[in-house]
Amino acid sequence: MIAQKFEYTAPKTLDEALDLLASGAKPLAGGMSLIPMMKLRLAAPEHLVDLRALRDLNYIREEGGQLHIGATASHYDIESSALLRQKCPLLAETAAAIGDVQVRNMGTIGGSVAHADPAADYPAALQALEARFVLKGAKSARTVGAADFFVEAFTTALEPGELLREVIVPIDDARTGTSYQKMAQPASGFAIVGVSVRVRVNSGKVSFVRIGVTGLSNRAYRATASEKAFEGKASSPADIQAAAALVAQGVDANSDLHASADYRRHLAVVHAARAFRTALSRIV
Amino acid sequence: MATATKTESFVGKRVRRREDPRLITGTATYVEDIQMPGMHYAVILRSPHAAARIRSINTKEAEGAPGVVCVFTGKDTKGVGAVPCGIVMPDLRVPQHTILATDRVYFVGHPVAVVVARDRYLAHDAADLIDVDYEVLPAVADPEKALTKGAPAVHPQWPDNVAFTYHQDGGNVDQAFAGADVVVKQRITSQRLVPMAMETRGVVAEWRGADRQLNVYTSTQIPHLVRTLVAGMLGLEENRMRVIAPEVGGGFGSKLNVYAEEALMGYVSMKIQKPVKWIESRRENFTSTIHGRGHVDYYEVAAKHDGTILGIKLKLIQDVGSYHQLLTPLIPQLSVLMMPGIYNTQNIRADIVGVFTNCVPTDAYRGAGRPEATHGIERMVDLLAAELKMDPAEIRFKNFVTKENFPYPTATGLMYDSGDYATPLKKALDLVGYVKLRQEQADLRKQGKYMGIGISTYGEICAIGPSAATPAGGWESATVKIEPSGKVTIMTGACPHGQGEETTFAQITADELGVGLDDVVVIRGDTAVVQYGIGTFGSRATAVGGTALYYALQDLKAKIKKFGAMLLESEDVTLSGGQVVDNKTGNSKSLQEVAGATYRALKLPPNTEPGLVATRFWEPPNFTFPFGAHIVVTDINEETGQVKIRRYVAVDDCGNILNPLIVDGQVHGGVAQGLGQALWEQAVYDDNGQLITGELMDYALPRAHLMPWIESHHTCTPSPVNPLGVKGVGEAGTIGCSPAVVNSVVDALSPLGVKHLDMPLTPEKIWKILATKN
Amino acid sequence: MRISGTYALPVAPERAYQVLQDPATLARAIPGCEGLEKIGPDEYRMKMKVLLAALSGQFEGKVRITDQAAPSSFRLIVEGTGRIGFLKGEGLLKLSPDNSRAAASTLVSYEGEAQVGGTMAAVGQRLIDGTAKMMIMKFFDKLASLSTQA
Repeated sequence: MIAQKFEYTAPKTLDEALDLLASGAKPLAGGMSLIPMMKLRLAAPEHLVDLRALRDLNYIREEGGQLHIGATASHYDIESSALLRQKCPLLAETAAAIGDVQVRNMGTIGGSVAHADPAADYPAALQALEARFVLKGAKSARTVGAADFFVEAFTTALEPGELLREVIVPIDDARTGTSYQKMAQPASGFAIVGVSVRVRVNSGKVSFVRIGVTGLSNRAYRATASEKAFEGKASSPADIQAAAALVAQGVDANSDLHASADYRRHLAVVHAARAFRTALSRIV
Repeated sequence: MATATKTESFVGKRVRRREDPRLITGTATYVEDIQMPGMHYAVILRSPHAAARIRSINTKEAEGAPGVVCVFTGKDTKGVGAVPCGIVMPDLRVPQHTILATDRVYFVGHPVAVVVARDRYLAHDAADLIDVDYEVLPAVADPEKALTKGAPAVHPQWPDNVAFTYHQDGGNVDQAFAGADVVVKQRITSQRLVPMAMETRGVVAEWRGADRQLNVYTSTQIPHLVRTLVAGMLGLEENRMRVIAPEVGGGFGSKLNVYAEEALMGYVSMKIQKPVKWIESRRENFTSTIHGRGHVDYYEVAAKHDGTILGIKLKLIQDVGSYHQLLTPLIPQLSVLMMPGIYNTQNIRADIVGVFTNCVPTDAYRGAGRPEATHGIERMVDLLAAELKMDPAEIRFKNFVTKENFPYPTATGLMYDSGDYATPLKKALDLVGYVKLRQEQADLRKQGKYMGIGISTYGEICAIGPSAATPAGGWESATVKIEPSGKVTIMTGACPHGQGEETTFAQITADELGVGLDDVVVIRGDTAVVQYGIGTFGSRATAVGGTALYYALQDLKAKIKKFGAMLLESEDVTLSGGQVVDNKTGNSKSLQEVAGATYRALKLPPNTEPGLVATRFWEPPNFTFPFGAHIVVTDINEETGQVKIRRYVAVDDCGNILNPLIVDGQVHGGVAQGLGQALWEQAVYDDNGQLITGELMDYALPRAHLMPWIESHHTCTPSPVNPLGVKGVGEAGTIGCSPAVVNSVVDALSPLGVKHLDMPLTPEKIWKILATKN
Repeated sequence: MRISGTYALPVAPERAYQVLQDPATLARAIPGCEGLEKIGPDEYRMKMKVLLAALSGQFEGKVRITDQAAPSSFRLIVEGTGRIGFLKGEGLLKLSPDNSRAAASTLVSYEGEAQVGGTMAAVGQRLIDGTAKMMIMKFFDKLASLSTQA
């Protein structure tokens, strides 16, 4: 459990960090995935650039009617942010469901989403929120939507030399109900399945719904078939069941020692229904 | 000198643990904390294959790597003795267990080479450069598969993979079965577990060539036995070796052993003439420290219509792993001893077959054979109750050995010391509100909800044990030294390592001598300081080690009174409250004054030596037999199959309680590990012998947030075996727990026709039942 | 671990069979493959670099093709060893014309066993299944694009 030799730099500015990345260094945020892999010698980066020292990446703020979350905001920062709890409770709820206290203190949203573990919690919420990701290179800057950001397991739209600068999520008003429902794998705390729901109801009918699913397959995805089935419905128990039943449709479900593909698909349906019910109950 | 008489007493009170401040402030000294000038570091290269022939090992590149001092392989260490198996029995096949593999590897994790460098990073880098050419061979990881014809032979010289067999008959089991109204049969497994001490193992060895002295610091439960056996492996005189067990961060039986690395580090230090440190990584811990359990049991219970148990048959398949460690073949024999539980039946038959597999050796893990046995009999009693449509509480009451029958000889050859088995069950039923719960259960069933009530009434074998019944002596030792200033130093041979005896032994001493807790220091774990001792395991430290202490204190009390009487010029004195008091005049001498006089020795009582030191080696006449009743109430989530523990009621009888706080802690910790087995933990090997739950990301250890509230209660039936009346409580929680949980879940699912479930009760396992039966 | 699945290659079975046996094509299609070197009839030495998230592992091993029955089936055996563990896979690939499509198409069905050992097996359980699927998909996707090139 001892890493190979590596160089370590903690730059003070983003530009400095980007220069180092351009020369092949690997970014280190909270280290909750990278450090264990290095200790097991499954990963052996030669040069680490520690982003946690970059103060200007650690923020949660409202700007132009949206919420901007800096890449090095910790899960605890997000879970406990009064701003997020009020204006994007789904993200705060998701952060609170990650791992354990120690992981939430150290881990960052940027590190988590850039790592793109297929069982990580955030991607479900970020798909449902249709989040946008600001990617910064030494000489470039671009913004990518969640649908394009999560490519497959451990693969995102980030190009070599690019850094995730911030995540942008919309402000959900009180008419929007949200919920994240998860079954945690007992050893790792990762999601065996996690489902995020955002829903609005207008004159008794579902006027808007977004569903994000994590843990089920090689990437977090939006369950569009479920969304279509739910939109315009009265959100009766039967409507919920019908929509939830579609949440895993066409998905090649993962299977491991903790849950078979069939069980995962079943859990996705159960947790989708729970997320629908909870989200609906939270509409003020 | 006037000293106030101390009247405060400590035994029986919730005295806070004196060892905790250093543990919770991070100032305790573990093996890893030991630093020495010139320290070198060892990294062990281990086999990634479960079975392979070693064609060659090329260490050249590693030897030339920066900072590397040397690399040793099995060729170099051929002169070192084998890792010992401490058990002698007929037909026991003991493979030669060299400290480094020579021509073959037998399990993933098998040590192949050791790299020594001036820092551990360089040592690890160099280990990556060793090139081992393996010819991979077929492996077998499942003990039942290993017994089938044509299975790969773990050790080629024994193609049937049988490591040992053991048979025990008690009473007349054939007659019992022939006359039975009903026979219930069940295959019951107790899965392999990883003991997972928070502190992994570690060794620092320091050879002092000029003195011909080897100091070994190792995280062990048995420093003296390690010294005797490792000195033997190294060909070193025992008195040239000193073993120190510094703070030990959990053992649970996994450190009740003698490991290859303990001798290997001694060998390395003697070779390089420098101190060397090896600290086991968590990854290594999974595949190089013993595992526990690993049973496949086939039970048959014969009974009458009224529920009276007539006899029990058990065919026990023990997954041995690739080698015998210190006590491996003994563990299933403990299961057999315990197989009747606390029920009155004199007819038993047990057949054990120990099976080699290409896995880590199994050995003692909290309870060591007794959780497996209790799980078996407690499941079987529930199966019998279900078969006869009897209430599981009623069938237990019917079969308990009754209070007036103690001491009670069992069919397995034990003599239960004392017991009152109905009382804890009655108490637990009352506490949980059994009658009401059964009504609620009936109502919930009508609503399609699954709630279960599970009972386990366990017995166990503690205070191990009489020497005749143990492989290396079952006594324990204590030395009490009262210093010239009257302060007291205890040296216990038991080497407690977290169980709290630094506190309980001080409580006993303070009460016996009438001093304060702070006047007493307890020393353990250093063979150069402490007289020979056996160690802490099998819930023995207090019951056996505490008794040795008690008798040493009696010796000193007599001597104190003798000196006190001399000083007071009286013939009628008592020792109380730290004073020797002349019963006639009321004059007194404090312990400090008396102690000073014994060392100053200006005047000595007749036939009395100076000083106040006493050592006792106490041989127990019997084991002790604690017991209890655990009741678990579970609710099953019908959508996901998840088990929620609504209530956990534990009524344990461990005899007299010296410190209720510590007893509760032991119960809580024991229950946590029992829940781990019942619900989450499993060491899973794939067909090729790869341990696929090889990290804490996949091996689901119980966590604080998963723990239910444990309602811990007691009854008290003192043991007649020792003057303290104590029995031991270190393993009770683990032993009582798993059958209560499984019985509860089976009870919940019984409307679906479920009769038995094997552990761990994962949600998917339960969901599959719900999905197919509903 | 059992591995099975199907993939539709957009070429006729004869062509599909040919590309699946062509070392140059295989070298380009196997994810992370850094080259195949012929060491015997239908046997190749392979160097492979697996990059997955932060994980990076070099593997050296062999690829063997046996039981050829052109153009309908063959057996593929892959073995690799590296510092972080070893992998071994053996599978039967069956090719059949896919008549459900207008253009020439071959349905490749594969079924086999994969074995992973060492550190990867001990710590990567959660990810092995998904990763294997992903790598097989990448392989066939690449093969599909290569097979349609001349």
